Amino acid sequence: MSIAPGQYGEIFDRGYRHYDGPRLGQAQAIWALARYSMARSLGMRRPWTVKIIPMVLYAAVSIPVLIAIGIRAFFPAFEFLAYPEFFGAIFLLVGIFVALIAPEMMSSDRHDRLLPLYFSRPIGRSSYVLAKLLATGLLTLSMSLLPAVVLWLGNGLLATEPVTALRAGLGDLGRIVVAGTMIAFYLGSIGLLISSFTGRKSVAVGVIILGFVLSESLAIALIEAFRDQPDLMRWAFAISPSRTIATLVGQLFGERDIGADVPLNSALLVMAAVIAICCAVMFAWYQRRD
Amino acid sequence: MQDVVPDALSIETAGLVKRYGEIVALDRVDLAVPRAAVGLLGPNGAGKSTLLRILLGLSRPNGGSARVLGRDAVADGRELRMRVGYMPETDTLPDNATAADFVAHMAEMSGVPRRAARQRAADVLYQVGLNEERYRLVKGFSTGMKQRVKLAQAIVHDPELVFLDEPTNGLDPLGREEMLDLIDRIHRQLGILVVLSSHILDDVERVCDYVVVLDGGQVVASQPLRVPEDDTADLHVRVDGDPGPFLKRLEELSLEARPAGIEYTSDEFVVARDGNRSLDAIRDAAAATDSPLRLLRPAKRSLEELYVDSVGAGANGARGRRRANKR
Repeated sequence: MSIAPGQYGEIFDRGYRHYDGPRLGQAQAIWALARYSMARSLGMRRPWTVKIIPMVLYAAVSIPVLIAIGIRAFFPAFEFLAYPEFFGAIFLLVGIFVALIAPEMMSSDRHDRLLPLYFSRPIGRSSYVLAKLLATGLLTLSMSLLPAVVLWLGNGLLATEPVTALRAGLGDLGRIVVAGTMIAFYLGSIGLLISSFTGRKSVAVGVIILGFVLSESLAIALIEAFRDQPDLMRWAFAISPSRTIATLVGQLFGERDIGADVPLNSALLVMAAVIAICCAVMFAWYQRRD
Repeated sequence: MQDVVPDALSIETAGLVKRYGEIVALDRVDLAVPRAAVGLLGPNGAGKSTLLRILLGLSRPNGGSARVLGRDAVADGRELRMRVGYMPETDTLPDNATAADFVAHMAEMSGVPRRAARQRAADVLYQVGLNEERYRLVKGFSTGMKQRVKLAQAIVHDPELVFLDEPTNGLDPLGREEMLDLIDRIHRQLGILVVLSSHILDDVERVCDYVVVLDGGQVVASQPLRVPEDDTADLHVRVDGDPGPFLKRLEELSLEARPAGIEYTSDEFVVARDGNRSLDAIRDAAAATDSPLRLLRPAKRSLEELYVDSVGAGANGARGRRRANKR
């Protein structure tokens, strides 16, 4: 039997080829770094042990939402999980999530001495920080915003008249988006700032968690200290991330007994200021060069 | 230093100064380096890494200017960094990533689209000898394999010029040979300009065409490594037996002879060239003293001699200047 040439395959020349394709700009590099950082933080293409904690946290956030939707399906009149309760419940989980991913974003690059490699590429130092902020913000949004949106969708779609319910709930959706986004970037920027100062992930995780706990203790101490001065006491919430988030959520959803008794704009202003300060310090820190 | 055509330069610096507090890391460095495989030599602390960092735009000079591939290293840093690659001296790889993922990521960081980046990573890892291993985690790699990954990420975006900082550090003799072969191939076959920073003379002599020697933050030599031999070069001579009578006879003939250098045996000498009279005098001296002439060829100045001469001379001057600066 004769064999036709090429029947069993061909021999390819695997010699070096010069690259003459397109070279994309800064936006591509920022998105590439953000995507790579997100994948590494979630343990993608890494051993399964790295994936466990993020997956457990995602499950912990998702399960109450699924239960709430399930209850809603069988008992339409029974409201199991209101939005303020949801945000109050997930603060701890989102905090742990940030304490987990932020060191992976920043400290790992310092530990692995990747910064000279990155900065020898077209991406600038500011773009590097921007990519890390984007990655942390997007990942944290998946914890702070996505489940709340699913809950909102479930509540709407399981109503007797879904279209009417969804339309009526657009205000809630707006409040959910504001709360989820502010929580994500507020906690994310704090976590990133702390992580940017050390190459040791364990130290960064410890400092972030300790910072959340100590800030709460400090806020309680300030409240006690300023008990006779209500105007000052009201602002003690700004010291503590948990109280700041509670204040934002309480004011957004009209639950005045949650958080401090300050206007919504004050809570938004405090969070925006913290985000701005964290970003400014990080940009300045990474601009440093010898 | 050889004459170079301005547009054929890969690196140009003028009065480049870099200070760390009172320490002067680079002291008025003037360079005009042709497009070649360039060796950057110097003892520890000579300023090699500082110079590389400035050329890459990672560090700002305190004075002077630096151009790489015709672009200002400070003002056009971003555009320049699209065209150069960098292999740092330190261990700079994420342990928990596969070689393929990391190299593809670094290609994307240089603007290569995602799909092309993965293809380029596979190709380049194959070129550096990591084909089967590219899907393994880097933490399981030997030092030699890690060096190859570092080299692969430096060339994955197809740069015009690649800076290699001590690429043979930590490698065993076989690994070192393989790394030098790879670097030689990158330059000769792939056409990528190479700047090899090293304190190992053999590495530079093996792969480079041009050498820059730094000492005390100053350029003490900048020249081609392989100068064409001509009939004006001094003469390298060796005679059997006691060379004393032979040397005495040369002296009587008004010819100066000096030991051939540190890498030669003690019976080898370099005789100053004086046209054909030197050749005649050596022949006559050997015949008159009955000294069998075993070697007679144009003397080549080895890199080791060049290094020892220039670093020795440069060090005295540079130290003096550093003290003067401090005062």
